[in-house]
Amino acid sequence: MESIIALGIALISAPLFPGIILKIKALFAGKKGPPLLIKYYTLAKLLRKGSVYSTSTTFVFRMGPIVSCAAAVMVFLFFPFAGIPPLLSFHGDAVVLFYILGIGRFFTMAAALDTASPFEGMGAAREAFFATLSEAAVFVVLILFYRMNGSLSLAAYFSGPHAISLAGPQGALLLLVIVSLFMTLLAENSRVPVDDPATHLELTMIHEVMILDHSGPDLALIELGSFYKLFFYAAFIACLISSPIQAGPFANTLLFYSLLTAVYVAIGITESITARLKMNLVPKYILTSFALSFFAIILTMEIF
Amino acid sequence: MHILLTALSLILIGGILPLLMHRWFRLSKIVHITTVTAGCLTGLYGLYAVWQQQAEALFSCSWLHVFTLAFALDSLSMFFLLPVFLVSPLIALYGYHYLDKPTASWRVAVNNFFFSLLIVSMALVTVAANIMTFALAWELMSLSSYFLVMFDFEKEETQRAGYLYLLFTQTGALCIFAAFAVISSHTGSLSFAHIEQLPHGVKLVAFFLAFVGFGSKAGVFPFHIWLPHAHPAAPSHVSALLSGVMIKMGIYGILRIYILLDDPSPIIPQTVLICGMLSGVLGVIYALGKQDIKRLLAYSSIENIGIILIGAGLGMLGISSGNRIMAAFGFAGCLLHVLNHALFKSLLFMGSGAVLHTTGTRHIDQLGGLMKNMPVTGRTFLAGSVAISGLPPLNGFISEFLIYYAGFQGLGLHGAAFLFSMSTIIALAVIGGLASGCFTKVIGVVFLGEPRSVRAQKAVECGRAMQAAMILLALPCLLIGIWPEPFIRLVFASLHDMSPLATISPEILGTIPQNLAMAARLFLGLLFVTIILRRLLYRAKPISQSSTWGCGFTQPTARMQYTGTSYALSMVNFHRPFVRVRTQYSGITKIFPRWAGYASKVEDIAEIGLHRMLIQPLIWVLDRLRWIQHGHIQLYISYIIVTIAVLLLVV
Repeated sequence: MESIIALGIALISAPLFPGIILKIKALFAGKKGPPLLIKYYTLAKLLRKGSVYSTSTTFVFRMGPIVSCAAAVMVFLFFPFAGIPPLLSFHGDAVVLFYILGIGRFFTMAAALDTASPFEGMGAAREAFFATLSEAAVFVVLILFYRMNGSLSLAAYFSGPHAISLAGPQGALLLLVIVSLFMTLLAENSRVPVDDPATHLELTMIHEVMILDHSGPDLALIELGSFYKLFFYAAFIACLISSPIQAGPFANTLLFYSLLTAVYVAIGITESITARLKMNLVPKYILTSFALSFFAIILTMEIF
Repeated sequence: MHILLTALSLILIGGILPLLMHRWFRLSKIVHITTVTAGCLTGLYGLYAVWQQQAEALFSCSWLHVFTLAFALDSLSMFFLLPVFLVSPLIALYGYHYLDKPTASWRVAVNNFFFSLLIVSMALVTVAANIMTFALAWELMSLSSYFLVMFDFEKEETQRAGYLYLLFTQTGALCIFAAFAVISSHTGSLSFAHIEQLPHGVKLVAFFLAFVGFGSKAGVFPFHIWLPHAHPAAPSHVSALLSGVMIKMGIYGILRIYILLDDPSPIIPQTVLICGMLSGVLGVIYALGKQDIKRLLAYSSIENIGIILIGAGLGMLGISSGNRIMAAFGFAGCLLHVLNHALFKSLLFMGSGAVLHTTGTRHIDQLGGLMKNMPVTGRTFLAGSVAISGLPPLNGFISEFLIYYAGFQGLGLHGAAFLFSMSTIIALAVIGGLASGCFTKVIGVVFLGEPRSVRAQKAVECGRAMQAAMILLALPCLLIGIWPEPFIRLVFASLHDMSPLATISPEILGTIPQNLAMAARLFLGLLFVTIILRRLLYRAKPISQSSTWGCGFTQPTARMQYTGTSYALSMVNFHRPFVRVRTQYSGITKIFPRWAGYASKVEDIAEIGLHRMLIQPLIWVLDRLRWIQHGHIQLYISYIIVTIAVLLLVV
């Protein structure tokens, strides 16, 4: 029952947090900023609308939003929010889930190419390239976690007696991992400095340009999927920072969501104080994140 | 075994009959397909009978009164027979509409004959139980596949590709026979028995010789050079058979020689892993860079052979470091990927053949928008692309997961073994990402968007037989993906006769197959829920059609679409030292520029290396030796006399 409630809270609250990022950015810019619930309003607005489909498109274009949203929801079913055991979990689910996110990306890129728009093709090409690199970075983290507690599932990483956290015996290594994962988060979820969700020039976009032609409920599904994906990565980092304390699920949930908010605030601050990287520097940026966790693995070779 | 031999003779009859009745074009094709299918079904029944231990698994007869031809069926050869018997009849079926020129009926009949011969020889390779039988079957396989590649023998491209293939396959055979010679000079017999008692050094020499030979057949980097030339030159159904089934015989050979030698030294798995990672990563990068759809698929075969070798290498590493779970999962992933790749690669070659058949071009950047005119080809190709990218819920993911699992098991090891396990995991992740980039390129540029040329605009759906074959291959891809339990159990059972793994019990599997099945079904379920949700959201909403938003530009044309080349270029450029990208750009010189040209080509470093390191020095040396050939017959005779004299003195 706890698991279902935790899942429900996560599913419902995920669109709230990008609002925090906007607020922080507005604060830095000295503006008032949109209301915190802006993303809910956006979703509601999109859901009320109809859609315009390009005559170039086929069923693959309509599959894009469906697959990417379903993939993101699938990950939520396996994630131990606030250390509460998830609905489902098995040894090896971490690999399965990152591949499920992969199929979501596959269809997003295919849908972009389906529109016959040169801009969307460009976005898809960039997404394909950068995703390859960040996938490698993520798997290095999985290797490290396997070295740390011999498990291959999200539930075993963040709940139970051998949970991985900064307070644990190998906590120092996790500092590297947290930085590396934060960089991967920014790259995978198309945030500054890799991609700018607020930019206006199609030529410079990555993710936004792939979904230019989607409208109405389709766009809502995509947005929801990307909120969930961002929430997943942020929750991953939040879980690393602190393991559940012995104070019952309510206190744990509170702790988890405050850490989560901190991660989103960090994203907001990063977006406010950094400029976007040039496109040809992005691979180096992602490889830095790869190198950080790789270095952590090298350090474990002495410990174990 | 007798059932199996009956099956093989049936398949062979299915090849000979069309030769006799080639005048009745249609009838001869129907006879070919039905007999081959009947033969393959009989073969499958024979496998089942042996599996249930109702039939004898051994057969031998003497040949020329000197040699013994021995055949034996163990679990490994039975597993490799599965793709042969499952995929071949579908490819034959596909050939019915693919080879539809009644004017070339004799050529089609000959092609059908060699097609049957290739199936028979592949089956014989897997069941051969001594050196002589294996060598004969191997040569028969190489030669019959050579004739299949030479279908369009009057084209210069085909002649070159065929020559290259013959060269590689014979050099490979030379290495394999050299390995056999090393073995039999120590054991003193031509049988496969007692090989494991050889001294360690001899075993290593034999293994590496055989690895080069089998690797060149399988398409292992850097012995793969024939593959991207032969596949585009051959007719598509032949490419499907070569890439889907035949190159797996190289993998079978590597596994077989490994089992026979039974050598635990770590150098073998390390070599196999390095070759596997190289083939996997470089194969997919070259695939990304290619503009010819069949060449792209050929490079993707090299990539998949790499994944298969990574599985095998992890298995061997598990054996040499005593980690049985890792060994079992590595080999199981390797075998399952053999089957999976046979399914989806044949499917993809068939799809590319259907595209080639209707548009007449293999150039990706001239196609586009085919999904609308070719719904069946497009949808099955999409399924194949998702499967080959190793994405759930299709079959490619299941085998890759098993290999990942073996890799993660290896992380508990120490020293070099740990480093190798770690690099395989990273390599697999990179391969997975690049493969989905590569196949979104194919799907997106060939089947989606707008047609880039008139030929692509006028494309029509292919014949019924071709459609049926593609659907019949796409279904098992989905089936293995969402119902993997029996297949995973099957590969684990197939490991039973591999002597180092004989004690593996299926218990180490635990609940992994069920969990994978659960995840795949759950994802499909979520997809359906989302689809229904979307339907509900769109109820009573205005839906209209319009042209694609051109970001303010009002006169878009199909030529403005992103091409496959530009899609892949940044990914290819990133791997620069391992890939050579040659670009030609005329530049703009005048104030009012008239004509400008830009061409880019991705070149294979193995090909360049072979040319530079081997062929050019060889030509140089042979050029220096030209004085031997002077045309004086009396001196030629003196060469012979001197040779005989030397031989008499020395030997």
